[in-house]
Amino acid sequence: MTTTARRRQPFGLYVLIVPFVVMFALFFIAPIVYAIVDSMFSVKASGLGFGAPERIFVFVDNYVAALSSTSFVASLGRLLVFSAIEVPLMVVTSLALALLLESGRARFGRFFRVIAFIPYGVPGVIAAILWGFLYIPATSPILQSLSFLGLDINPLSTQGVLFAIANIALWGFAGYNMFILIAALNAIPSELYEAARIDGASEWATTWHIKLPLLRPSIILVTVFTIIGTLQLFVEPLVLRPLTTAINSDFTPNLAAYNQTFAQGNPNLAAAMAVIVAVLGFVFSFGFLRLVNRKGNRAW
Amino acid sequence: MFTQRTGRPVRVALASIATAGLIVGLAACASEPASSDKPVELTFQAWVPNIDKAVDAFNAEHDDIHVTLETITAGPDGGYAKMLSAVQAGNPADIAQVGYSDIPDFLVSDALEDITPYVGESKDLFSSWQWDAGSFDGKTYAVPQASGPLVQFYRADIFDSLGIAYPTTWDEYYEAAKAIRASGPDRYITAFAFNQAAWLIGLSQQGGANWFSADGDAWDVTIDDENTLKVAAFWQKLIDEDLVKVEADFSSEWNADLQNGNVATWIVGSWGDAIIRGTAPDTAGNWAAGAVPQWTAGENVSATWAGGSASVVLKGSDHPKEAAEFALWLNSNPDSVSILTSIGAGWPSISDVSVIPALQEDPEVFDFYGGQNIWEVAAESDASVDNSWRWPPLASTLFASLTDNVKSAIEAGTPLTAAYEKTQTDMVAALEDKGISVK
Repeated sequence: MTTTARRRQPFGLYVLIVPFVVMFALFFIAPIVYAIVDSMFSVKASGLGFGAPERIFVFVDNYVAALSSTSFVASLGRLLVFSAIEVPLMVVTSLALALLLESGRARFGRFFRVIAFIPYGVPGVIAAILWGFLYIPATSPILQSLSFLGLDINPLSTQGVLFAIANIALWGFAGYNMFILIAALNAIPSELYEAARIDGASEWATTWHIKLPLLRPSIILVTVFTIIGTLQLFVEPLVLRPLTTAINSDFTPNLAAYNQTFAQGNPNLAAAMAVIVAVLGFVFSFGFLRLVNRKGNRAW
Repeated sequence: MFTQRTGRPVRVALASIATAGLIVGLAACASEPASSDKPVELTFQAWVPNIDKAVDAFNAEHDDIHVTLETITAGPDGGYAKMLSAVQAGNPADIAQVGYSDIPDFLVSDALEDITPYVGESKDLFSSWQWDAGSFDGKTYAVPQASGPLVQFYRADIFDSLGIAYPTTWDEYYEAAKAIRASGPDRYITAFAFNQAAWLIGLSQQGGANWFSADGDAWDVTIDDENTLKVAAFWQKLIDEDLVKVEADFSSEWNADLQNGNVATWIVGSWGDAIIRGTAPDTAGNWAAGAVPQWTAGENVSATWAGGSASVVLKGSDHPKEAAEFALWLNSNPDSVSILTSIGAGWPSISDVSVIPALQEDPEVFDFYGGQNIWEVAAESDASVDNSWRWPPLASTLFASLTDNVKSAIEAGTPLTAAYEKTQTDMVAALEDKGISVK
């Protein structure tokens, strides 16, 4: 009887896992392998170019071409600047929202939590299109009122465009990250608050000494998510591109890869660019986790 | 994972999943046997709005062939990528709409069927430069549908109210630009569409430029020739003096400007008529059409908006003969061409346009232009197009590179002429990178 009971468990486990493994392999691993393989080939024509082209193995030539292209390297740099703007902004905003709306003293806290989350439900492309309307003086009531008051702002100028995109991303994800932090806040045992109150701690001291340290793993989670998200930046520049001269087709690495595939007809170079961005994502995420995981205090 | 505890039940389960997967895969590959009494089913991918009317007309007249229209995004915006991926995957549509400028790209990707055996004899039905746009090395790959000869649509009421005569030369255009700019704080003669490579290329072509010529087995690329730089310098002057509005055409901002008269003219292919009527219906009766201003007074030189559109049969189609038959009918049958013209497909490619009723009498269109028969302007423009213009492979790279460089030039305040010179360097590099010979 014990033998049959022991045998039944693995069988059920495998039946439940196999579909996921199959799908994961087919739709996640296989395309990645295909992209890496594709990035090591190139398609060449000859003469006037009107015959059938041939596919030749070029090993790392595409990677060399990508990394020696000034515009691609500039787009990587731009991404770092954008991350430097967006990540602190996102973490601080979602943290502030979570702390304020969960303190128990906010009026209509639940209502405002829902309001903060609603922008996440708007698909990214739709949101970018709508923000595009709000960023052009001709169609934006906000900009028109501001210019009426004497403030002429052009969010889509070269200086302002990164902040404009950061703003769109902030509205989209602050609510989502806020909920992650609220879930973590709710897991803090209330005895700690009572003990702090008995010891005479102010609200700010409670926040600084109890809530923030215990929120550390979730804050790290939110930061890693945001880093990965900013490295993928694609939808907002793509949608805003026709509206401004400040965004070119290689504004971000993902946009450059998209341009290479669909406009320049070079999907192999695009695959190389995509692999470079993925590697960069790994390096930054794991680098950050290494940085914050002190010995004996592992957050992950 | 697989230990001794993995007993028969688990292995049986995994084996049956694998077998099921195999069966499903094989079943999907099985093709249907051809049936002789059912009509041949074809798919047609296009993005011209309302072209379903022409497709319905074809289906009504043909019992043996049935065409289903699949509306896709415009080619340069993703439609071509869709077609090329489908050809690579082995399940393309049968007929597709492809611009003249992109036919070489499709040839480089080996994505077109040679339809010479089916349509070769119909060459004389079409205008020669448009037929040549789809033929290479003596073989025909495309049936030309329509071209976009440049005309200038303008707000006749604005010009009249300011007492400006229609500009027939670019010098007069400059003077008109100054007058219109002075008439209102937000008024401009036209928008400088930094995003629209076809517009930039058309203006250069109209200036006498000829960027690509095939010299034996290699391309001669001259994007930065003196005519192009002359055109670039002219528009640079207009931008510097704030006489044109730097904005993307077909954008919501530009639509608003068309509607409220802040943009008074538009140089575009003859099909732009449908766009104006659709975007600014409240301005009906105020517009008129005229020829593009000339560089030398008295001359009559015109150009096209990226050539035009053709119907091709994609490689891998199961019924190339029927597909070619549809392509030929769509673009040469007078009723079909009449429908195509009235829906704004462009200037017809057939050589004898007198058989098309919509070009002689179209009150819906003419009333918008104060009763003017705008197609006469289009006909004159089409007759003055320089036929020696050739499109190279990687036209999409040309478009992308040109828009990027023009954008950067405007953004950084560097001269437009430098943008064209950079495009020359970029294009030569891209062609050579692909293995194509450049002189």
